[in-house]
Formats: sequence, C-alpha cells, structure tokens
Amino acid sequence: MLRQTVLVPPPTTTPVDAALVACADGDPTTFGPVYDALAPVAYGTSLGVLRDPDHAAEVTQEVMVEVWQTAARFDPARASARTWVVTLARRRAVDRVRAEQSRRHRDQRDLDTTVAGAPRDVVADDVERRLEGAAVRRCLESLTPTQREAVVEAYYGGRTYREVAERLGAGLPTIKSRIRDGLGRLRDCLGVARG
Amino acid sequence: MADDDTARVAWDLLPAYALDAVDDLERRAVERLLGSDPQARRALDEYRDVVAAFTVDEAPPAHLRGEVLARVARTSQTAPRGPVTAPARPPRRRRALVAALAAAAAVAVAVPTTIAVREHGETVRLEAQADRVAQMLADPDARLVTGPIAGGGEATALVSGDDVLVSAAGMPDPGEGHDWQLWVVAGGSPESAGLMPAATGGVSRALVEGGAGEVVAVTLEPEGGSEQPTTDPVVALET
Repeated sequence: MLRQTVLVPPPTTTPVDAALVACADGDPTTFGPVYDALAPVAYGTSLGVLRDPDHAAEVTQEVMVEVWQTAARFDPARASARTWVVTLARRRAVDRVRAEQSRRHRDQRDLDTTVAGAPRDVVADDVERRLEGAAVRRCLESLTPTQREAVVEAYYGGRTYREVAERLGAGLPTIKSRIRDGLGRLRDCLGVARG
Repeated sequence: MADDDTARVAWDLLPAYALDAVDDLERRAVERLLGSDPQARRALDEYRDVVAAFTVDEAPPAHLRGEVLARVARTSQTAPRGPVTAPARPPRRRRALVAALAAAAAVAVAVPTTIAVREHGETVRLEAQADRVAQMLADPDARLVTGPIAGGGEATALVSGDDVLVSAAGMPDPGEGHDWQLWVVAGGSPESAGLMPAATGGVSRALVEGGAGEVVAVTLEPEGGSEQPTTDPVVALET
C-alpha cells in the first residue's frame, strides 16, 4: 500500500494558541479574537455530529463559554487550540446525542429514529462533499473501504463502536481494529506526530 | 481482570475514545489509563489531531457572538491550581461519609463536564453509592476542581449537588503504619471523612456526601486515622 504524506502540521504554537493562553489571565475583553478564531471550529464540529443547526448553536455556545472558563487548562504542548476545541465540542455534542437517545428510550417512542436526523448515507455523502479539497480527504482515500466506512460511521452521529458494528453487521473486534488501523493510517498520512 | 489486561484493553480503545465512540464505562477505563500513562496520553493527543483534521469550519449564527461574549463577561475562570483557604462560613452538621467505590463506577482524572450515563446496554452491579455516583456523573451542572498532591499526583473533586467525588491519581503510598485521611474543612474546623481507600489502577476514589462548598483535604495520619489532622494537608480542594 502506498503511503502518502500530504500535510505536515508541526505542533508549534500558532497565534490562536497564544491568544487562548493569554486570555487565561481573566480579562474577558481579550476573548473576542479567540471567539472569532475558534467558534467556527466548535460550530463545524457540533454540526458534523448533531446535523441540526439549533442544537449545534447551543453546543457551540456552551463550548465557547467552557473554552473561556477553562482556558488555563489549555496546554499548547499537548494540543493546538483547534484540536482542543474540537475535542471539547465533540464530547459535548456526542453527550447531547446520547442524552437525547436515552430520553427517547425512556419515553418509549421514536426508538428506531436516529437522533442525528439524517440517514447515514446522506451524512456520509455530505461528509465527502464537505471535505472536498481537504488533505484529510486524500488521506481518507488511502484507507481500505472497510476502514474508511468504520471511521466515517464512528466520526459522525455520536455512535459507539458497538453501534457501528451493529450497523455494519460486523463483529466488535473487527470494527475496533478497523477504527484503530484506520486512524493509525490517517495519523501517518497526515504527518501527525507529537513528542 | 488483571491490571495488565485492563491496560491493554484500554490501550486498544484509545482510537475509539478519541472519536468518542466508546460507552461510559469504557470511557472511564481509558481515562484511568490516561491518568497513569504519559505514553497513552501522547498517543491520544495524536489521534485527537487526526479527528480534528476532519472538522470543516462553519460560520456559526451571527447572534451567537454577542451571547457568548455576554456570558463570558459574567463568568469567572476556573483556576487550575492555587492556594486554598477554608471558606468563612459557620460550621454545620453534615454527614461526611466515605465509601469505597466499585472501580467501574468511579471517575478518573480527565472527567468531562458532562457524562451521559446510558440506561441500557450495560448493566453493572454496584454498591449502594453507585447510584449516587452515576447521578453525579450525569449531572450537567457538576463542577470539577483539581489540585496537585504534594509529593506527586493530582486530586480531582467532582462536585454535584451536596456531594463530592474525590479522585486521587498517582498519590504516593502512605507507607507502613500510615493512612491517607480525608477531611472536610468547614469554617476552619476539620471533620474526618474517613480514610482514602486503596488505589485501583493508580487512582483512589471516595465519595464525600455533604462535602460540597467546603474544603476537602487529605493528610497523612497514623494507621486507622486521627480525630484531628496531625500533619499538613498534601492537597486541599475548595469545592
């Protein structure tokens, strides 16, 4: 298999990282530029998981307030500001999907509806469209079809790998290793390396 | 399951964890690994960069900016570290009860602000306190306070309602003839909240009922504990 390296993001400190570190000093007026740089990251992430603009906006608001509140915990040695915000936003968005699933489960209705709202195939198509031109798209294409399918299914919609396995009709160990190998190959392709 | 097996399973779950594609129990298993293994943290950081590469920025609705900045202006920041003093308030009677928790119900260092506890799929038999812990983990308003432990490690308090779930990761062994003892300090007067239970997977956890809003501290005491602290706290968390 051809190993591509299309993008090398060195883990150095960007101006956004520096602005985020600086706003940990407690001055709310310094947060405007941080919001402008990172809110689109939080919104794009939330929208990718939730597929609903209103839910995504609510999550974005929570995430950006959390970014302000916990700015002192941001460690530029461990992550870029972008990665940090994606991590926070995904966690909140996925938790919202699951809380919603759990509520629906309690309510004994809509049991067969996906919370994310859109059929998965539509989502996957949308993903491919949105990623057009992005380096990650080229790297995605270097995965085997089954790896790509498992990673994309796990990325969108807040599903657990168990649910991905059920959905794809494959065994748990199979899905776990497809996700692991897929992410590992993406990591190499994207040139991500820390430490 | 042996600790090595647990660690191997948790390592295996790291990529799925980076995608938030694990359930709550697995999440906690991975977080225990992360609390004790810097290599696992670095591997996770790389997977998270990969996941972040998937994000396509989208302009959020314009009204959001003003709303967020208004909330930011009236929201104080969480200090990650700092000196802790007892809040000045009159002592009150409170039940300070410490319970060792089933490992599966416990929370590790990197607790997110919200955890949706799933109601189906996993059934785990836990002690009586586990229900309370599950509620705490599911509480979207739960707060986290962390502080370094003198001599090594980090303590985290998850504060939900009246209760505090204390986790101490990487805490040194108390040594022969000694125990770590928990205290709830209200208005400068410490009240014992029992001994810290033995660590599992490098993390010791205790539920302190009624401890919220007070200072929760840990001291080294002679085996079995003391009536009042006899040493300086190695950590004090203002909850």
